[in-house]
Amino acid sequence: MTITAPRIGAALDRVEAPLKVTGAALYPNDVSYPGLAHAAPVRATIAAGRVTAIDTAEARAAEGVIAVVTALDAPRLRRGPVTLLGISPPAPLQDDRILHYGQYVAVVVADTAEQARHAASLVAVEYAEDVPMLDIGDPRAEVEDDPWGMDVDRGDLEAGLAEADVVIDETYATPDNTNNPLGLMSTVAVWHGDGSLTVHDATQWPHGVRMSLAETFGVPESRIRVLAPYVGGGFGAGLRAWQHVILAVLAARETGRPVKLVLTRPEMFTGVGYRPESIQRIRIGATRDGRLTALAHEAIAPVALEDDNFEAVSHTSARAYACPNVMTRDRQVRLNIPCPGSMRAPTEAQGNFALESAMDELAVDLGIDPLDLRLRNFAGTDPLTGLPWSSNALRECFARGAELFGWSRRTPEPGSMRDGHWRVGYGLAGASYPPYQVPCQARASLQHDGSAFVRSAATDIGTGTYTVMTQLAAELLGLDVARVRFDLGDTDMPYSPQAGGSGLTGALGNAVRSACRQLLQAFLDVVADDPESPLRGLTLDEVEAGGGGIHRAGDPGSGEAYTAILARHDLAELSADGRSTPPTPDTTAWAGAFGARFVEVRVDADLGVIRVARVVSVIDGGRVLNAKTATSQIVGGTVGGIGQALFEETVTDEGTGRIANATFGDYLIPVNADVPDMEVVFVGGPDTATPLGTKGVGEIGLVGIAAAVANAVHHATGRRLRSLPLTLDALL
Amino acid sequence: MKTREEALSRLGASVGVEFGVNGVRRRVGVEGRVTLLDWLRDELGLTGVKKGCDQGACGACTVLVDGKRVVACLMLVAQCDGREVTTVEGVAGVGEAGAVQDAFVRHDAFQCGYCTPGQIMSAIALIGEGRAGTREEIAEFMSGNLCRCGAYPRIRDAIVDAAGGEVG
Amino acid sequence: MGPFTYVRAVDPVEAVGVVSADPGAAFLAGGTTQLDLMKDGVLSPEKLVDITRLPLRGIARTGTTIRVGALTTMEELAADPTVAVRVPFVREALLAGASVQLRNMATIGGNLLQRARCRYFRDPSVAACNKRERGSGCAAIDGVQRMHAILGTSPHCVALHASDVAVPLIALDALVHTRGTDGTRTVPLTGFYLPPGDTPDVENVLRRGELITAVEIPLPAERTRTHYLKVRDRASYEFALTSAAVAVELDGTTITGARVALGGVGTVPWRAWDAEDVLRGATVGRDAFREAAEVTLAGARPLPGTAFKVELAKRTLIRALETVTGAP
Repeated sequence: MTITAPRIGAALDRVEAPLKVTGAALYPNDVSYPGLAHAAPVRATIAAGRVTAIDTAEARAAEGVIAVVTALDAPRLRRGPVTLLGISPPAPLQDDRILHYGQYVAVVVADTAEQARHAASLVAVEYAEDVPMLDIGDPRAEVEDDPWGMDVDRGDLEAGLAEADVVIDETYATPDNTNNPLGLMSTVAVWHGDGSLTVHDATQWPHGVRMSLAETFGVPESRIRVLAPYVGGGFGAGLRAWQHVILAVLAARETGRPVKLVLTRPEMFTGVGYRPESIQRIRIGATRDGRLTALAHEAIAPVALEDDNFEAVSHTSARAYACPNVMTRDRQVRLNIPCPGSMRAPTEAQGNFALESAMDELAVDLGIDPLDLRLRNFAGTDPLTGLPWSSNALRECFARGAELFGWSRRTPEPGSMRDGHWRVGYGLAGASYPPYQVPCQARASLQHDGSAFVRSAATDIGTGTYTVMTQLAAELLGLDVARVRFDLGDTDMPYSPQAGGSGLTGALGNAVRSACRQLLQAFLDVVADDPESPLRGLTLDEVEAGGGGIHRAGDPGSGEAYTAILARHDLAELSADGRSTPPTPDTTAWAGAFGARFVEVRVDADLGVIRVARVVSVIDGGRVLNAKTATSQIVGGTVGGIGQALFEETVTDEGTGRIANATFGDYLIPVNADVPDMEVVFVGGPDTATPLGTKGVGEIGLVGIAAAVANAVHHATGRRLRSLPLTLDALL
Repeated sequence: MKTREEALSRLGASVGVEFGVNGVRRRVGVEGRVTLLDWLRDELGLTGVKKGCDQGACGACTVLVDGKRVVACLMLVAQCDGREVTTVEGVAGVGEAGAVQDAFVRHDAFQCGYCTPGQIMSAIALIGEGRAGTREEIAEFMSGNLCRCGAYPRIRDAIVDAAGGEVG
Repeated sequence: MGPFTYVRAVDPVEAVGVVSADPGAAFLAGGTTQLDLMKDGVLSPEKLVDITRLPLRGIARTGTTIRVGALTTMEELAADPTVAVRVPFVREALLAGASVQLRNMATIGGNLLQRARCRYFRDPSVAACNKRERGSGCAAIDGVQRMHAILGTSPHCVALHASDVAVPLIALDALVHTRGTDGTRTVPLTGFYLPPGDTPDVENVLRRGELITAVEIPLPAERTRTHYLKVRDRASYEFALTSAAVAVELDGTTITGARVALGGVGTVPWRAWDAEDVLRGATVGRDAFREAAEVTLAGARPLPGTAFKVELAKRTLIRALETVTGAP
C-alpha cells in the first residue's frame, strides 16, 4: 500500500481552527471546577544560601487564604523518575537550601487567584545568603567535560590546521533566551474521593507528567489522568513536569480542593527552563580554493546545580561539512541558576550561529562567495559514519533559495549596497536539524457508521498534529477527512512521547500508520472466512483503502464498505492498536532536516537600527503532510530566529541572580512590525529512513536565521558581530 | 464625598456595576480590585479572553469596550459601568467579525491559538479604525498583539483578505 | 493587588478633596500605569478614586492653542485634525508610543505622569530604590543599564522618563492646567518635572491630590515644520532608546526658529535649550546640526551600559533635523 493520494500534503485548514478562532478551545488555565481554589508560589529572592525563617502569619490571616505550605514544613515528596528526557526536576520545598533565584520557597492557596497572589506577597522569608556562582567563568564552579559522551574527534585536527592556507579562529557568544510561550504555564489538579488524580496541565508530554506525579506522590499511573488538549505554545518549556506542577498537585492534596496554579509572566523566566547562554570557539582551516581541512568547535554552557539539561551545542558541527579533521567539545558549568531546558531548536540555535558565522568569515577571508564555499564543502555522505544519507537535498535548498532570493544580485563588497539611509546586506546560512524519534502508540477505531476515531496521548502545541494526523488517518483508511476524528492530549489514550525534538510527527505518524494498517488487517481478519465478502482471504498487501471501505489493490469496484462488514458481523466497531519504533537504518545515515536561509537586512547607516527586510527559506523537510501547517512551522521558526538574532536576551543581575527583564515589556520578542513577509519552499522527497518519510519541521525553521542575519549585517556594514543579540549599540 | 458607590465599596467590599457583555445586560457587585480580564474568565466563563502577561504587554486579553480595543487586564470591572464589552465569544461568525475569523482559518494565521482571540478582536477593531489599508499599516497597528508562534505574516494575510484586499 | 476601596468620582472638586485628604488614596484614570504598578506591588493605595467619568475629556481649539482635556485618550488626541496638521510631531509621538489598545486606555494626563520603566523600581523584591523609598539606595546604577537615563541623573536615581508625547509637548512649551484644594493653577511643562536629585520619589510639582485637568498646546506658526524620530530595537511597541522632537521655521536655508527636545535620555523629558540657541540663525546643514547635538549631550553622565546613548542621541537629533529641514 502506498501513500500517494491527495489527502496527505494538501493544505487543509486546521481541523481545530473553528474552536481557536471563537475562543472555544479550552487551554489548561481555562478549566474550572466547583470549589476551585487557587495557588500562588513564593519565590526566593536570593540565588544561594539558606532559608532561616518563613513568617506566614500575615499571609494566613489574609482574606480567603486556605493554606500555606513552605520549604520548612512541606511534606516529603519523591523526585520524579528518569525518563527518556533524563532526570526529573527536583521536588519542590524539600529543604532549606536555595540554589537559584526564583526557587520556590512556599505556596499559598486561597479562594481566588487575586487573594492567593496577594497573600503570597505577604509571606516573609529570611535568608542566610551565600555568594552565588552566576558567571560561567566562576572559578569555584564545577565543570563537566563531554557530559553526554558526544564529543567527536575525527582525523588529525592539528595537522588539518597546519595544512590550511587560511585559519579562522573566533569566539562567539549567545545569551540566555527564554521560551515565553504566550500561554502561561498552568496546572489544575483535582484529587478525587477514590484517591485518583486528574491534572490539566500545559504540557508537551502528558505521559511524562503522569510518570512524574506517580513517582512523586506515590500513586499508580493508572489512577492519574493528565489532560492537555490545547496548549498555548511551549517551545520546550512544557517538556518537563516542572516544580509548579508538583506544587499545584500538592496544594490540592493539602487542601482537599481542586487547585489551579497559573504562573505569572515573571515566573515563566525562572521555573520552566530557557535556552542557556553559550560561549563558542570555532577554528576552521581551509585551502585557498575553499576546501575545509580542519574544523574545531568548542562550546561551554551553564546548567543548574542539581538538575540536568541536554545541550550538545557543538555536536552538529561534526556532521555539517565534508571535512577530514574535526574536533567538537562540549562542557557544562554548574551555577546557581534556574535550570535551563530545551528551547526551540536546542543546541542547533546556538551552535549553528557560531559555525555559520565562522563559515561566512572564512568566505570573506578567502574571497569566495559564501554560497560557493558551502557547496564546495557539501557533505555528500554522513561525515560521522561515512554512510549515504537517508535523504539530503541541501544543495537543492541552496540552489533554489539563491534563485528565489536573487543572490546573484549581491555585490560582495561590504557596504556596497545602499538604499537612502539604509545599508543593504544579503546573508545566508545553511541549516540542519538532527533526526529524532522515540516509541509511540496510537489506536484507530472504525465506528458502525463508517467514521473513524484515532487517538494518542500526544499534544498539539500549534504544530498541526490534530490536522496532519487526521489527514493521515483519512488517507490510510480511505475516508473523507470529515469522517475522521483524531484526538490527543489525554493519558487515557495510548502512550505518546513528547511534542519535541521535531520528533512527534514521525513517531506519531508512523504509529497512526501502524494502527490504521492493523485496523485494515482486523477487517480482513473478520472477513477471512466470510463467503459474502469480496475481500475474503486477501492479505493486506493485496488491498487498498478507499471510498469508505477496502477493495482489491487497483480495483476500486471490487471491495466493500466498512459499514457493511461491521453490520454483517454484528460489530459496533473495530479497533486496532499501532506502534512505531525509531528507525535503525544500517545502510544509510538517518539524515534529519536541512535548509538554506537567505536574509536581507537593512541597517541604518547612522543610527545602527537593524531591520530584517526579506527572508527566503528552502527546506528539505522530507514528506510534507500538510503544506499549510508545515509552512507555518517554518515561518514561526523564522520569527523565533529573528528574535534570537535581534532582540532576545534574558539578563541576570550580578550578585542576586535576579532576572532583570522578566516581563514582555522588557524581554523583547518580535512584534508584527519586525517580521517581513517571507517565502518558504520545500524541496526533497520522503526520507527513506521511516515508512512515513517525514523529517519533522518544528525546529529547522529557527536554525540558521541568527547566522544569516549576522552575515547580512556584516555584508551591509563591514562589521562582524559575534555576540547575540545583534543590537544597534554595537554598530555605532 | 459620600457617593452611593463609596457606601457600597468599603475596603474590599462590592462595587455596583451595570454594563453590557456581548449584548447581555449585567448588573453585578464586584470587589474593586477585580480586573475585567479575571472577571470575564472566572465569573462569566468567557475563557476566550486569554491571560498572557497580566501586565498590559501582550494583547492576548484584547476586548472591545464601547467598540474600542483595550486590554482587559489593566481595566477594573468597576470602571465598566455603563459600557458595552465585547469578547471573541460575542462576535463568533457574525458579519465582518465572522469574515475575520474565517480568514484567520483560511490563512493559518495562528498555531497554538492562545493569542488568537486577542488578535481577532484587535483585527476587527483595526479594520474599523481604517488601518487595514496596507500591509505596513497592518503590521504597525497589530504590533500590540504578541504571537510567539510567529504567525505574523499570515495574520497580515488574513486581515488583508478579510478587509477585502488582495493577499500578496 | 491588595484590596482597596473603589470610588467613582463624579465631580473634580470632590475628587481632589478626597485624594488630598487621604494619604492612602490615589487617582485612577486609564489605569495603564496605576494598575500595572499595583499588580507589581509597587503601589498599594487603600483607596482608588476613578476619575474617568469626570468632564475632563475632549479637545478644543481656542485661538492659537489646543486645549486637551486630561482624560482625552492618546488615540483621541492622535486623531485630532488640528494636531495632525499643525503639530504633526505630537501625533507622531503619540502613535509611536505603546500599542493601540493601551493608547485607547491611557489618557494624556496620565501619560505625562507615567512612572519610570526601571525594572528595579518596578520590582519590590529589589530593596534599593530611592524612587520607591527615599534613602533606600539605587540598585539600577550598578545593575543592568541599557534603558537608563544619561541626562539629569543623580547619584540617587538614573530612571528614565519614558513618555514619547511629553517630548514634543515640552518642545512646544505646553501648559499643564491643574486643580488642587487651593483651586486651579497653570504650570508650564518645562517647569513641571523635577529631576531626581536626592528626592527621586518626587517627580513633579503636583501636590498631593492635585489633578491635571487639561494640557494646553500652543500652536506654532503655520510654516513650522515638525518631526518626531524614535529609535528603538524593535520596529514598534517599545520604549525609546533615544528620540528627538524638532520644530523649525526656515527662511530659505536659514533657521529662524527652533524647538528641540529629546526623549529616551533624560530623567525628565529633555528640552534642549542649548541646541535651540545653536540652531536659531544657523544655516541648515550637518555642521549646525552636529553642533546642536554636541551641546545638548555635553552634560551627559552615562553609565558604562548607557554610553552608547550619547552618540545615538546626537545622531538621532541630527537625523531628525535633517528630515525636518529636508537637508541632504
